[in-house]
Amino acid sequence: MNQLLWYVSRATGLVSLVLLTTVLVLGAVTSGRRAPHGERATVVMGLHRWLSLGMVVFLGVHVGTAVAETYVSIDAISAVIPFTSSYSTLWVGLGTLAVDLIIAVVVTSWLRLRIPERAWRAVHLTSYALWPIALVHGFAMGTASEPLLRAVTVACGLVGIGTLAWRANTRHADAARRSDVLTQEWT
Amino acid sequence: MTDILELLDAAGLTGRGGAAFSTAVKVRAAREEGAAVIVNACDGEIGAAKDGYVVEHHLAELVHGAELVASSRGRKVRYAAHRGSATASTLRRAGLDVLETPARYVSSEETALISLASGGLARPMTKRKPFVYGGRDSDGRAVRPTVVLNAETVWRVAQVATHGPAWFRSIGTREEPGPRLVTVTGAVQHPGVLDTEAGTPIADLLDAAAADSRAEHLVIGGLGGVLAPVAAARALAWSTAELAQFGGSVGPGIIDVLDPHRCPVAVVDSYLAFAAGESAGQCGPCMFGVPALSAAWADLLDHRPTPARVEIVRARAGLLPNRGACRFPDGVARFTASALQTLRPHLNAHRDGRCPSERTSGVRSRA
Repeated sequence: MNQLLWYVSRATGLVSLVLLTTVLVLGAVTSGRRAPHGERATVVMGLHRWLSLGMVVFLGVHVGTAVAETYVSIDAISAVIPFTSSYSTLWVGLGTLAVDLIIAVVVTSWLRLRIPERAWRAVHLTSYALWPIALVHGFAMGTASEPLLRAVTVACGLVGIGTLAWRANTRHADAARRSDVLTQEWT
Repeated sequence: MTDILELLDAAGLTGRGGAAFSTAVKVRAAREEGAAVIVNACDGEIGAAKDGYVVEHHLAELVHGAELVASSRGRKVRYAAHRGSATASTLRRAGLDVLETPARYVSSEETALISLASGGLARPMTKRKPFVYGGRDSDGRAVRPTVVLNAETVWRVAQVATHGPAWFRSIGTREEPGPRLVTVTGAVQHPGVLDTEAGTPIADLLDAAAADSRAEHLVIGGLGGVLAPVAAARALAWSTAELAQFGGSVGPGIIDVLDPHRCPVAVVDSYLAFAAGESAGQCGPCMFGVPALSAAWADLLDHRPTPARVEIVRARAGLLPNRGACRFPDGVARFTASALQTLRPHLNAHRDGRCPSERTSGVRSRA
């Protein structure tokens, strides 16, 4: 039973990382130049939202099984508060931190119509930090002994870094027009 | 003295800036909120001159009206006028607090003035609720309660206080009581501002300004108004009920008689090109929709106005209303729809390769 929990925890962790990377890519392409238009935009945004919720399910199982199994001691507190685990404090702590950020992003997106747009945006931007945190956590902990799993993590890293590099070097057409207009006389 | 709010209620004064909202309701809210008062003397609409007329000829009454509107708590009155305008310098010479705005279309709009007055840019803000109750700009900064009233409206407030509501109601129509100013401009011998009233035949207004008898089209209410045939307009009275026939209203009180020698399709093109350049770069319909509409209309002028090209104009205009922070795109859409309707015979002539306007037939020109 304990062994099963251990495998489930590793598997769901890896699936969570793949889904998180997919959600990151889908989110990044909805802003920036060549953003999808029309029906395609609806599909991309729908996938971004529903895959992120799907990831939360896998993540919940990942955290739950990690706490439940007893090979290593990760208690319920260290599943919530970062860097409190006696086992592998740093790497487990990064995972906890990523989970906390994901909870914040999901909750603010859920309440998006009820909270200021700026608050939603500020929290959502932390996704750019939580993805590398989760990646390092996954790379350092789960996959070190298994070439195939490691390859998946590395692939996630390469895809994500490529997406972030593209996003950093692109600007939405709206933003260009807006800043043009701002150079006119407005005061 | 009877309270000014009761007098305004009894008089039925409505805003003369175009929206025709009850002044009594606005002033009551302004009093309750201790709102700052901005008197809009921008003459922001194309062809408008009546705010300048009020400042020029009735400044003492204007100032009196503004004092009546301002509550004792928020006794801060500012007078908004375009930078460099004669109106701005007249106001400044009188020692008044002048809010100088860029001489732009959208900067003369109510919420743009409030934004400028609270230290922001003169660009329209989303009205989640009227700013007379205070609110927030798009960056979330607090905006203090502020009410904006058109200069003519404020002058009429002073008149109501002096002469009483019965006098006010004895002028105009039952639905649109009181005296009102109309600017008549364009192809007329005596351009200027007429102190008239609702119900006056439009023919009388045109004759008073000695409009060119050959003129075929006129614009009522500027860029946010409608384009109409002179012949049909002459048969109507100056009232919102009758102007509704063209989809228009008395609005900000402007009649612009178009030069009969200039192709009206080209005139509309210059109106829309101006509109495209006036975007505040905030909302989609204004940033992209209005320039796209202007480009589609330019195609009617540069190429044969086929039904397909006309349909593109109609479709793009139809996408503009009810989507911006201010009503600028809505006004442009209304203007374009009326131009399509009124100029249908003219566009048909273009399609047959000729232009009924005498001199500049088919020649593209931008004002």
